[in-house]
Amino acid sequence: MKQSILIFSLSLLLGIVACDPPIDRTTGGPAFDGTGYRAVYATAAELAKIETQPPRALRKPGKIYVQGNYLFVNEQGEGLHVLDNADPAKPRKISFLKIPGNNDIAAKGRYLYADNATDLVVLDIGDPTSVKLVKRIEAAIPPQNFPALQQVYFECPDAQKGTIVAWEKVAMSSPPACFR
Amino acid sequence: MKTRIIQIRPNLFAFLVAVMFWGCEAGSRSADVSPGMQTGVGGSMARFAITGNTLYIATQQSLEVYDITQPDQPSKTTKRDLGVGIETIFPYKNNLFIGANNGMYIFDNSDPKAPRQLSFYSHIQSCDPVVVQGDYAYVTLRNGTTCRRFASPSSLDVVDISNLSSPRLLTSLNMESPYGLGVDGNRLFVGEGSKGLKLFDISDPVKPVLKKFRSDIPTYDVIPYRSTLIITGEKGIFQYRYDDKDQFDLLSKIPVE
Repeated sequence: MKQSILIFSLSLLLGIVACDPPIDRTTGGPAFDGTGYRAVYATAAELAKIETQPPRALRKPGKIYVQGNYLFVNEQGEGLHVLDNADPAKPRKISFLKIPGNNDIAAKGRYLYADNATDLVVLDIGDPTSVKLVKRIEAAIPPQNFPALQQVYFECPDAQKGTIVAWEKVAMSSPPACFR
Repeated sequence: MKTRIIQIRPNLFAFLVAVMFWGCEAGSRSADVSPGMQTGVGGSMARFAITGNTLYIATQQSLEVYDITQPDQPSKTTKRDLGVGIETIFPYKNNLFIGANNGMYIFDNSDPKAPRQLSFYSHIQSCDPVVVQGDYAYVTLRNGTTCRRFASPSSLDVVDISNLSSPRLLTSLNMESPYGLGVDGNRLFVGEGSKGLKLFDISDPVKPVLKKFRSDIPTYDVIPYRSTLIITGEKGIFQYRYDDKDQFDLLSKIPVE
């Protein structure tokens, strides 16, 4: 028991020492390296616009998901490429599902579950060239009010501008007020 | 220098529950459900996962659970708050493995509507995803996001989960900048982000042996599926045919344009 307390204390100590970040004395935050994260906003009206579009080129491919012969490729923050992958040597693009603020999906049968920024949506993909929104659960996912990183500066969120759908790393001349 | 410490929260009751349910494992992470209601397969970076009639969502700070018995009418059954920095979820048999940037949570989901935390495998580095096969979890840890000043090397950790209430680090291999990973039989695939893709032989599951390092395939995540490795990364989607020996042949690529 004594030994386990010792190990625990040691781990805490190491944790604290190892994670002690460099401090920028002017702001109290981490050292500023001339970059920070800027929020990308979408309005409620923009987020609600889910539609099936013709296939398009990959630009920023994100996560992937396989269901039977279908391969879904997320276009980060924008939606999903739907591919027929029955022959992995010849994948064929079928359509693009525009789902603003989308990064993740799962599917069962003909139903696709996707994040639409902070909402959870259910889409009927029985016909992937004409997808239908069948259910929207609002505010199912907490907003990304900060980038998923630590020891970084970011612009403070402004709810007036809409919902944050992504964070972009940009050059900044001075550190913004928010950091983590 | 030894910097990694494992902390376990013992929970006798949860352990007993795990033992009770251990004998009645249903299906594993499998796409071979009856046709028509087939569930898909995600990569290791996924925040969404479906098992049976339950949809799990790992948000940045919680595990959200939905009943999808009526698939077009998900109904929220419960939620578990999990601090911050939650990144990924990987269902395997009757358990959920949740990757966070300070460790890995293991839940028993024998009752899918009431997942119960069994343990938390903790370390002092930034952590990314986890995949599981048999008694072993493979976890990648990437430095550079949490502890900048005294960053330890990134690594691939092999964790013994034969006792789910008490996960134990067995092996740790240095890596460059690991992201998603996938496991199938004696093959372990690890994405090294923009640095490439690594293939390991895990015939001995505790001692991954590096067989190939493809620096030309930037890899964010992978899905091994029907002997095809599907790769996503900054250059596009690549698919390779693999077997349990040396085969690794390009089938197709869809480049970023």
